[in-house]
Amino acid sequence: MNTFIPHAIEELSIRADADEVRRVSIWLETVGLKHGVPAEHIGRLDLCLHEALANVIAHGGAVALPAPVCLHFDTHRNEGTGQAAVTISDAGMAFDPLVARSKVRPQTLAEAKPGGLGLSMMRSNADDLSYCNREGCNHLTFVVRWAESASGQVK
Amino acid sequence: MTISFKDVDENFRRIAITGRMDILGTDAIAMQFTALSATANRRVVVDLSAVSFLASIGIRALISNAKALQQRGGRMVLLVGDNAAVAKTLESTGIDALLPMFTDAGEADKAALA
Repeated sequence: MNTFIPHAIEELSIRADADEVRRVSIWLETVGLKHGVPAEHIGRLDLCLHEALANVIAHGGAVALPAPVCLHFDTHRNEGTGQAAVTISDAGMAFDPLVARSKVRPQTLAEAKPGGLGLSMMRSNADDLSYCNREGCNHLTFVVRWAESASGQVK
Repeated sequence: MTISFKDVDENFRRIAITGRMDILGTDAIAMQFTALSATANRRVVVDLSAVSFLASIGIRALISNAKALQQRGGRMVLLVGDNAAVAKTLESTGIDALLPMFTDAGEADKAALA
């Protein structure tokens, strides 16, 4: 059984507001690079985090908006594999994206209805997604992994 | 976030978008993008090769403007150049099956005018 040893943890508290999305992205890039997460995988986390935050802002409801949104970043390395995870915690209406249905793909542009792609983008960019609702808060975690050589370089 | 355009002729327009198509970036260009896409019978190439980040709200803008253009008898195609991240996002969401996507500018022009 592989045991991942915690390597680095960073946290940020933000408002549930569209004006925060750039600060979040810059924070994620900064902590990701600081802890050696390859840029490609920071980009995957950035997309997941943006879509999750957009969902909180759009669908979290009146309880979500005045409450802080907490972001937790951690990385692990073990036996040639790097892993980075971001957890977004919010006080909005309970919503489990793991059980929500992805939008049915239209066959033509005429059939297409704008919107509803955030969930499928999170699913396609994360290697793992997990969700729990604890003490009235949603906690959504997305994980990305990558292979590294013995010297720590990305393969 | 910037949006610019060049009219090759009265029926053919190239639109270039640069920067992050996230909540803020897409909102910043939304009205101009819609206005630039709204002309009847126009063929439009949207150049996304300098887009550094494409979120679902950016895709929503592409789809809604492409649909509106199609309903007016026009056509929109996408140019991604060597922007692998944007191409991957469009492919993973299946948007490339709805809006033709090209890496080569000449091919994009040809498809728009076909």
